[in-house]
Amino acid sequence: MFALLRRYRELILVAVLLVVPLGVYFAHARKPSERSKLDRAILWLTTPVERSVGWAVSGGLRSWNGYLALRHARETATELLREVNLLKMERQQLLSERAEVERLRKLLGFAQESPARKYVGARIVGVRLAPAGLQLLTIDRGTEDGVERMMPVVVAEGVVGRVHGVSAHTADVLILTDRNSSIATVVERTRARANVRGMGKPDACKLDYALRVEDMIEGDALVTSGTDGVFPRGLPVGKVTKLERFQHGLFQEARVVPSVDVTRLEEVLVVTAWERTAEILPAAYAPGHEQ
Amino acid sequence: MKPLAHVLFALVLAALQSAILRWVGGGAFSVALLAACIVYLGLHGGNVDGSVGAAGIGYVLDLVTGSPKGLMTFLAVLLFVLARAVNAAVDVRSRGGFALLSGGGALVISLGALVLTRLTSAPESAPGIGLVPRMLLEAILTAAAAPLLYPGLRRVDRLFHREEHGLLR
Repeated sequence: MFALLRRYRELILVAVLLVVPLGVYFAHARKPSERSKLDRAILWLTTPVERSVGWAVSGGLRSWNGYLALRHARETATELLREVNLLKMERQQLLSERAEVERLRKLLGFAQESPARKYVGARIVGVRLAPAGLQLLTIDRGTEDGVERMMPVVVAEGVVGRVHGVSAHTADVLILTDRNSSIATVVERTRARANVRGMGKPDACKLDYALRVEDMIEGDALVTSGTDGVFPRGLPVGKVTKLERFQHGLFQEARVVPSVDVTRLEEVLVVTAWERTAEILPAAYAPGHEQ
Repeated sequence: MKPLAHVLFALVLAALQSAILRWVGGGAFSVALLAACIVYLGLHGGNVDGSVGAAGIGYVLDLVTGSPKGLMTFLAVLLFVLARAVNAAVDVRSRGGFALLSGGGALVISLGALVLTRLTSAPESAPGIGLVPRMLLEAILTAAAAPLLYPGLRRVDRLFHREEHGLLR
């Protein structure tokens, strides 16, 4: 018997290792079994391994994401920076174009207010505001475009000046702040007459020939009277400021702040034809005059 | 000692497997690396230390899979016997053969567990045939990964291999 057992001991061992677990399984399969202390101890042994792997993998991922994956970041950043700069330039250009559209729309609106007048639009291509010489703006329109000497130059805000010299394709505009410029105006509120004369600096004019007895206060708006034969009636010129009325003398003195900031102009309108009233035209040109 | 070493190796392997699967795929698929250990024992182990080692690995499987006690132990010993039978019929020496057997072993364990669990579970909680594709995928992945384990298992084996110095000199 023992010899038999000894002879087949390995086979018996394997059979036992097969049958016992199967019996244990069928015995415990239908009821949940609790883990023994040995089970828990063995499982506890696996914890450091799992943690180590987790630490290694997460560390590797961190290294990858933090360093290796960023190896092209500089090139990407440079490319994006270039793109941002291009977009900034494009945006600036669009903003500039939008401002230009706004200005042109305003000019167009102004031109449409008086259908009898004819205008030629022009861009400022040169500025000469040196105090020693004339205060001139150069525009890109000339005789070829119908521009002539003494034509009024305006924008929606008011009077800019008049054409002083003209060539085929450009013209010089003597602005209202030049010392040689004198524009016949009236106070909009009281219709009191006076001339606005330039002082040689772009931000101020003075009031000439304003009679001391005339009703005039600081802040009064001055518009063209049309009596000088150069400017149409009713164009804004400026506002009265620093008004001084003396006890003696014929005239009162004042400064005028121009309606138009000539230093910021980009486009202007040259008035090529406008409604001239009979009272201001020389007799030779008055309607009904026969030569 | 040799079966114990294999069981410890299996324990470390089970921990590695669960940790790696947590990061790779997040549980979308699984592998049965311990089945490859059992197949290795069936091919290269002795009857006694191999079967004991397989039972030990089965116990570890029982623990890590949370299956009822004895199920995986029985299946591990069964796989050991099957591997041994295959080895008796076909001399499996290449790593490809080892990989093929490991994949088959993983499938045997999965299908065996499925059948036995169906036998003992209530019908409403019994595992269904729908798990078979997942088991096939597990077997394929196990077959793919098994050759990587081969050097480690050989190293564990060599720890207990006695060289008789001077015989060839």
